Amino acid sequence: MNTVPKFSRRRWLATAGQAALAAGWTISAPVFSQQSAGRVVVIGGGFGGATAAKYIKQRNPLIDVTLVEPAQKFYTCPFTNLYLGGLRTFEAQGHSFDELRSMGVKVLQDFAQSADGAAKTLKLAGGQTLAYDKLVLSPGIDFLWNKLEGYDEAASLLAPHAWKAGAQTTLLKKQLDAMPDGGTFVMVAPANPYRCPPGPYERISMVAHYFKTQKPKSKILVLDAKDAFSKQGLFLDGWKRFYGDMIEWVPANKDGNVIRVDAKNLSVETDFGKIHKAAVLNVIPPQKAGLIAERAGVSNKSGWVPVKPDTFESTQVKDIYVVGDATIAAPMPKSGFCANAQGKVAAAAIVNALAGKPAAAASWSNTCYSLVAPDYGISVAGVYQVADGKIVEVKGSGGVSPREASDTVRKLEALHGVAWYNAIARDTWGSGA
Amino acid sequence: MFSFHALLKNNLVCLAGLASAALMAAAPWHGARAQGVLDVSLLAGTCLNCHVSDPKLATSIPVIAGKPEAVLKAQLLAYKSDQAPAGTTIMNRLAKGYSDDEIAALAAYFSKLDAKGIVPAGVKK
Repeated sequence: MNTVPKFSRRRWLATAGQAALAAGWTISAPVFSQQSAGRVVVIGGGFGGATAAKYIKQRNPLIDVTLVEPAQKFYTCPFTNLYLGGLRTFEAQGHSFDELRSMGVKVLQDFAQSADGAAKTLKLAGGQTLAYDKLVLSPGIDFLWNKLEGYDEAASLLAPHAWKAGAQTTLLKKQLDAMPDGGTFVMVAPANPYRCPPGPYERISMVAHYFKTQKPKSKILVLDAKDAFSKQGLFLDGWKRFYGDMIEWVPANKDGNVIRVDAKNLSVETDFGKIHKAAVLNVIPPQKAGLIAERAGVSNKSGWVPVKPDTFESTQVKDIYVVGDATIAAPMPKSGFCANAQGKVAAAAIVNALAGKPAAAASWSNTCYSLVAPDYGISVAGVYQVADGKIVEVKGSGGVSPREASDTVRKLEALHGVAWYNAIARDTWGSGA
Repeated sequence: MFSFHALLKNNLVCLAGLASAALMAAAPWHGARAQGVLDVSLLAGTCLNCHVSDPKLATSIPVIAGKPEAVLKAQLLAYKSDQAPAGTTIMNRLAKGYSDDEIAALAAYFSKLDAKGIVPAGVKK
């Protein structure tokens, strides 16, 4: 069983063990030196940034790691749809940075104003300037205000996007709670690429669940800038089964593309001039990398950040690594899972680089569960590696839940979704059920 | 309810044969992962996004940290096979992303992990 042609497991493990040792994988600090092994600043305390900070410190405690994050607690977008559906509290998605602090990461509650890649310094809104050897940006997304006519920040206070977890999410929930039975919830869904490809459709499912149980005469209209979406067949099957004709999804090729938003009147206009009026209007606008990406010079004309696949170092500015939704990492989706996986790859590459060693072979995966109804979960998975200088999905791996899966499997995937959330929250922030 | 351990007990005998046949036929590494510096902790990193290491926090997804290497390897190879065990949800889609050698390395690595998800000091990696 242990005989493997060409490359023995024993030899592999020995090599891996040496690499791990060299990278300072053990928790106890080497006794021969207590000097700093380098200064790393991480911007953003979400899935990508918190993971990068934690794993750099875990791999080499002698590296000075500073995390800059404006919020005291990070609220995840994943599982806020379940909050909208009435299945969770909003607070259940909040995570503090206590574990990072206990590991020796300095957490600065501040906002990164600008980065100077040549001087290797960073200016914070609070006035402080930080010097770094390696900088990690995990800035998430920002919105292209007014790219969709009429939809700017002021409009989002009337027709929330709720695509960053926080006040926008609780605003949308309040609007749904206040909506009279028989109203229409209209969602404007964006073109690719955007944060969390199946997210809009899980949100539709959870709002439908809320209506079914609380406001059964209400309707849902999805106006989509696309003709197809993630896990489409599975979502459409589930919608029909659990919510009958409550949900109408209109693809772009059937005049689903919205070109104008009138937030004051809660109405939208499509390509062919059709006006749809909403009782509650949820506009998920076009997106780009978080603001600091542009200010650090790492984003390109697309608004997103090109990276070197092996390390997630910027292709445009040396010693700046970018992870998460801000990056161009297709075929990996813009998911919290992938941000965490990219944070681990960047962390390992940075620890090796600061020790003068080459990066280890990168490997990522993605698992994304969506809840269609309380006991009915579906998933998509993928395994990724680098081939010929590009990120590719490993052939034969990945895909979505089978369309013909039994109710037992759907229920299990609903349970696994919660288990996933708890595990990744614990891995990233050390907190979670 | 699908049980990881019951499943293992029921399948272990036939798996032993399947596993050795699969290992003999396998190419050692997938694509470019074979060319870089090998670091099994990086390969294993994303498994922890679903599998907690602390048995006290166990969920519907089984704890794999500290489980016997042979059990983990047999289970992963079973997921990777075209006849995934009954009740499989996502692991067949993930296991197919790793070569048999990578699966063997992952099994060896997870068997050494403690409840904190790290290899304790003094344990040979």
